[in-house]
Amino acid sequence: MRYPAFALAEHLDHGLGDPRDPGRAASFARCVELDSREEFPAEICAELDRLGLPRWYVPTEYGGELRSYEELLHAVRILARRDLTVAIGHGKTYLGAVSAWVGATPEQARRVGAEVLAGSVISLALTEREHGSDLLAGEVSAVPAGDGYRVDGEKWLINNASRGDLVCVLARTEPAGGTRGFSLLLVDKRRLAPGTFRCLPKERTHGVRGADISGIAFTGAEVPAEALLGPAGAGPEIVLKSVQLTRTMCAAMSLGLADQALRLVLDFATAHRLYDRPLVDLPHANRTLTEAYVDLLIGEATSVLTARGIHATPDELSVTSAIAKYLVPTMMDRAIPRLGQVLGARALLTEDHADGLFQKIERDHRIVGIFDGNTLVNLNTLVNQFPGLVRGYRRGVADPGLTDTVDLARPLPDFDRSRLALLSRTGCSVVQQFPVAAAELLDLVEAGVAPPALAVQVETLADLIDGLHERMAAYRPSPRQVPAEAFALAGQYALAFAAAGCLHLWLRNRHRLAGGATGPLWADARWLRACLHRLIGQLRPAGVAGSAPDDDGEDYDRLLPDLRAQHREGRLFSLLPSRLAEAGTPPPDPPSETAGQPDEQPSRTAGAVTQPSEVVR
Amino acid sequence: MSGTIQDTSVDAIRSWLAGRIAFYLQRSVEEIDHDLPLVEIGLDSVYAMTLSGDVEERYDIEVEPTMAWDHPTVNALAGYLHGVLGSRG
Repeated sequence: MRYPAFALAEHLDHGLGDPRDPGRAASFARCVELDSREEFPAEICAELDRLGLPRWYVPTEYGGELRSYEELLHAVRILARRDLTVAIGHGKTYLGAVSAWVGATPEQARRVGAEVLAGSVISLALTEREHGSDLLAGEVSAVPAGDGYRVDGEKWLINNASRGDLVCVLARTEPAGGTRGFSLLLVDKRRLAPGTFRCLPKERTHGVRGADISGIAFTGAEVPAEALLGPAGAGPEIVLKSVQLTRTMCAAMSLGLADQALRLVLDFATAHRLYDRPLVDLPHANRTLTEAYVDLLIGEATSVLTARGIHATPDELSVTSAIAKYLVPTMMDRAIPRLGQVLGARALLTEDHADGLFQKIERDHRIVGIFDGNTLVNLNTLVNQFPGLVRGYRRGVADPGLTDTVDLARPLPDFDRSRLALLSRTGCSVVQQFPVAAAELLDLVEAGVAPPALAVQVETLADLIDGLHERMAAYRPSPRQVPAEAFALAGQYALAFAAAGCLHLWLRNRHRLAGGATGPLWADARWLRACLHRLIGQLRPAGVAGSAPDDDGEDYDRLLPDLRAQHREGRLFSLLPSRLAEAGTPPPDPPSETAGQPDEQPSRTAGAVTQPSEVVR
Repeated sequence: MSGTIQDTSVDAIRSWLAGRIAFYLQRSVEEIDHDLPLVEIGLDSVYAMTLSGDVEERYDIEVEPTMAWDHPTVNALAGYLHGVLGSRG
């Protein structure tokens, strides 16, 4: 079978070419070199323009090709696995424009769409030097002047502030500020009077060293009235809704980086021999690898459900996007350094092993956690919704869109921005429908279709999730200082979402996916068992002894052949069949015409072609 | 609570709102100034959104989470909710 949402990602990856080929502009070697020179990857971004990527930043109703956020998720993922600086340096234009998709009039949004399609770079300027992520403390002001506004003040730590042609600026439009005192202005730098703005020097950063992280200072910059995006005073609301879309894309960056980290370590562990055996055959080393693989599968399941939810259950995005943005980067922040331990000292080298790519990935990944609201901001979003989440769980509320969210074969409805909400009225259907999914699973075990071990896991999870909701219900909200226990509960809720999501995904897609290139993962539910094993281990309250009786890690070991096959065949580490540029064959068809294509069979030839490279490296 | 008939006079709504806010701030209800912006009383803007869930529970209506942004004091909120509830049918 094919998974059409990978089509855009494959188009881009194959268009950029095999990243191991140093002759390519977008090779790993070149990306590492640009990073060490702190040079912006302009040539690679131009290549992405040529491949048409800006079209997928613009929703179809505004002239582009963005009709599926699931597709965009995988595109961001595949770019991040090559180079995070490229992913954010190019993808920032989506971030700069998203406020228009969420809050502008249709006519304005079409104008912004035309800019993006013409290749303009758009930046988003929210933060200021003195105020960090406290948006309502911002001092950049926009006061009515003539037919428009006069903008003063400085935005700092802004990605692409210098390279950008346009900058979407959050500015104070009421001197007193407040939630209705800020507005978004799309400032066209090309049309500002000379001397009324100045770009700040690029800041030096630990990761993404080539990125244009700079700032912009306005002094009496006059912008026309039509620069105002959405109603005056709607700035904070538009921003809070927009980050529900972009947070999901941050999860994609983590997936891409961790994928490449695991790939590098597998390259090494396959080629490197210890005690006369390849490292990958030593139990300790392969357990580290399979655990990282399981983390990637959990992260993928969480991200895919959240991205599909943008279309099918957008009313719940305030919950689900916070979960994805918290959980996936946090998991990968742990997984990537653990993978580095398999490399040993080589992980730290900037040149000797695989061009020093691993240490770059590790540095780059640390920045993902702080994009679009850091870990605590996202957990706090969940803590604030505990009452609604507990209510929804006790009543078993299910948004009708849940079916479309979890069944990957179902076409997604068009994204409807009017359904975005700052709080979820229906709670979180994925978690709330866990008991229903659990009952279905138990029936399958009873019927001999699902392995009995899954029944034990699902019953354990049911108890853990019940207990979690009891503790969430007992939490007395405190608007002043959120206690650490509340953050811990929110973190556990994210794990519960991932576990419930994995179960829904397996139940709804097992028939269709059991036949494809990733079929073995699905056929005996081995991926589900390993993911639930991992999540149960993390959900169990600290200090509670006794884990599953089979806790010798067999659930992980069973995945080793799948992991090695995906590595060998040049596929993403994924529940779903994909084909990376390393696999050598071009994608079967361009992304916009994928529907209705015949099923794809795994190609043994492509796998064989990639094998020698493992030896070489 | 949901679905039960509640007193929807401005006074009743006002004292219920003040009670919820006092509960969240862990202060006595007498300390809640009905004319001060909620932010100044100590209920930050993100947190004020959670009031909408309480309102929906109690009065069985749908309100925007941002209602406290557009009606930022106890009195303004009570007046707004009274209007919504009065026109409910």
